[in-house]
Amino acid sequence: MKKLVENSGVEVAYKEIDIVTTGTFGAMCSSGAIINVGQADPPIKIQKAWINDVEVCHPGAAVDLYIGATIMSETRPFEYGGGHVIEDLISGKEVEVRATAHGTDCYPRTRLRTTITKDDLNQFYLLNFRNCYQRYVCATNSRDEIIYTYMGKLLPKFRNATFSGSGALNPLMNDPDYETIGIGTRIFLGGGQGYVIGEGTQHDPGNQGGTLMVRGDCKKMSSEFIRGAAFTKYGTTLCVGVGVPIPILNEGLAKKTAILDEEILTDIVDYGIPRRERPKLGKVSYKELKSGAITINDKKVRVSPLSSLKTARKIAEILKSWIENSSFFLSAPAESLPTDTVCKPMKQTEEIAFVNSVTHAAVTCTEDEDIKAVAERIINRSVNHVVVTDEQGKLRGIVTSWDITKAVAKGKRKLADIIIRKVVTTKPHESLEAASRKMAQHQISALPVIDQDRQVLGIITSEDIAKLLGR
Amino acid sequence: MKTVARILLRFSEKIVEQPITAQVILEHGVPISIVAAHIDSKGGEILAEVPSTHVKKIIDAFREKGVTVTVPKLIEVDSEKCFDCGACFSLCPVGAIAFKEDFSVVFDEKKCIGSPCGLCVDACPARAIKLVEQHSSGLIK
Repeated sequence: MKKLVENSGVEVAYKEIDIVTTGTFGAMCSSGAIINVGQADPPIKIQKAWINDVEVCHPGAAVDLYIGATIMSETRPFEYGGGHVIEDLISGKEVEVRATAHGTDCYPRTRLRTTITKDDLNQFYLLNFRNCYQRYVCATNSRDEIIYTYMGKLLPKFRNATFSGSGALNPLMNDPDYETIGIGTRIFLGGGQGYVIGEGTQHDPGNQGGTLMVRGDCKKMSSEFIRGAAFTKYGTTLCVGVGVPIPILNEGLAKKTAILDEEILTDIVDYGIPRRERPKLGKVSYKELKSGAITINDKKVRVSPLSSLKTARKIAEILKSWIENSSFFLSAPAESLPTDTVCKPMKQTEEIAFVNSVTHAAVTCTEDEDIKAVAERIINRSVNHVVVTDEQGKLRGIVTSWDITKAVAKGKRKLADIIIRKVVTTKPHESLEAASRKMAQHQISALPVIDQDRQVLGIITSEDIAKLLGR
Repeated sequence: MKTVARILLRFSEKIVEQPITAQVILEHGVPISIVAAHIDSKGGEILAEVPSTHVKKIIDAFREKGVTVTVPKLIEVDSEKCFDCGACFSLCPVGAIAFKEDFSVVFDEKKCIGSPCGLCVDACPARAIKLVEQHSSGLIK
């Protein structure tokens, strides 16, 4: 479609092409499977259950269980989780089920342990409440340490970046107005056929943040397209393969499905700042992202996809062949998906305070100053801490009134001899709770506030925190 | 079957200016190819490849000349587990991981420096990347 529209125009493309197939394959955390394990004898009303040591929740009647993709094994956390249980079941492996219950007159059993395969399950349905994000951000890291996130491993000081999604191949990018995708749309799901059952959670179509809620029969899926995954120090998830056929019902859809990677822009976001609104560093297109390198702060850095673009293409190809050999039939949606919902932040009844809300200017000095001059400054400005900086205002150390007193008592004259150089610091976006924990841990009463280049932005003291709590 | 083994040579400040690698090559008549090197006046490191049949002899020769020799672990990719996401791609400092035109992830073991780096290992969501001892893969007996 994309080439035909470019070469021959929308009108020709509309006449020649009936259906465009799309695909995506990547980590989709809001996924899971609903299973019915059948009733035991004597019967049990499960209160808590585990499969391969992964706690599975019990949302309904006696023996219905939901395997959440991100729930981690109690014996192998961060390595094995619900996503892996679903993959193991789909690939025919035997899994161990354990359960406990209170015991009732009708369901007397209180303990259970058995092994099962997918053939032993009555129902085994993938039931994912947020899949197929229309596009996602590109993640990078400003901190001077490696961070491990749900967007993968991010090297210090913007040395790499990661992105997710298949760009112009993404199903929702090809039908952004939801003309053909709605409740009841038959789709490729995990190697089998499934359905769209609604908009996904956090569906935000106005900001190119559409999502899908989907359901499909796991017994007909393949572990090639449903894979458990483990993100170091973040946790486990499920990689899901989704493909949606878009029937070209009008010229408008021919034009929309001709969308190109270079037309899809997303934000480069600093995951080094652990806040809801992370700083944005600029925009980048999926074409650049797929090229393997992007520019951040005038530097070229490598960028990793976290979704398999190879598998996404394969899904679109398989869906095409299914349609061609009549093993897959398109369905008209029973109801359209909403196009006007937005994704709201949480209503919080407790405000969390951050370091930047109490940061004030620090009294500073340089290394070559006289102890007496610094002592006078402590008295004049009535502070206990003087931050030592270099000429550019970067942190070199700290001196307290106690250090000065000690120096005078011991007859020391040079400031350089008494500076504390290993300084515990904080950053503007650290929570006050974390900052005060640092002070308690190190038995200190102030923290210089610095940025990623160790530039001194100010100081916070235990008095500031005490005042805030006393309000 | 691979026929070359990798060894990591560490030169202290004292010996860094001596042509030790050249001497070992000449004395033993064994080819040694340098995969990666970082050397300055304070010392240095060379990652070298030697024929696996002569590894023991070469290691002893370097040690005799005061070089610290270790046998680094090598990266092994389980292609069954790998689902070609490419999470590892941006972490590799030597460009040993690349994409083919169809977005398959390809790993070039010749470029990879192994355990002195290992940045990609814990970035793999499929847990398909491992550092393995060269002894266990039969390269060094």
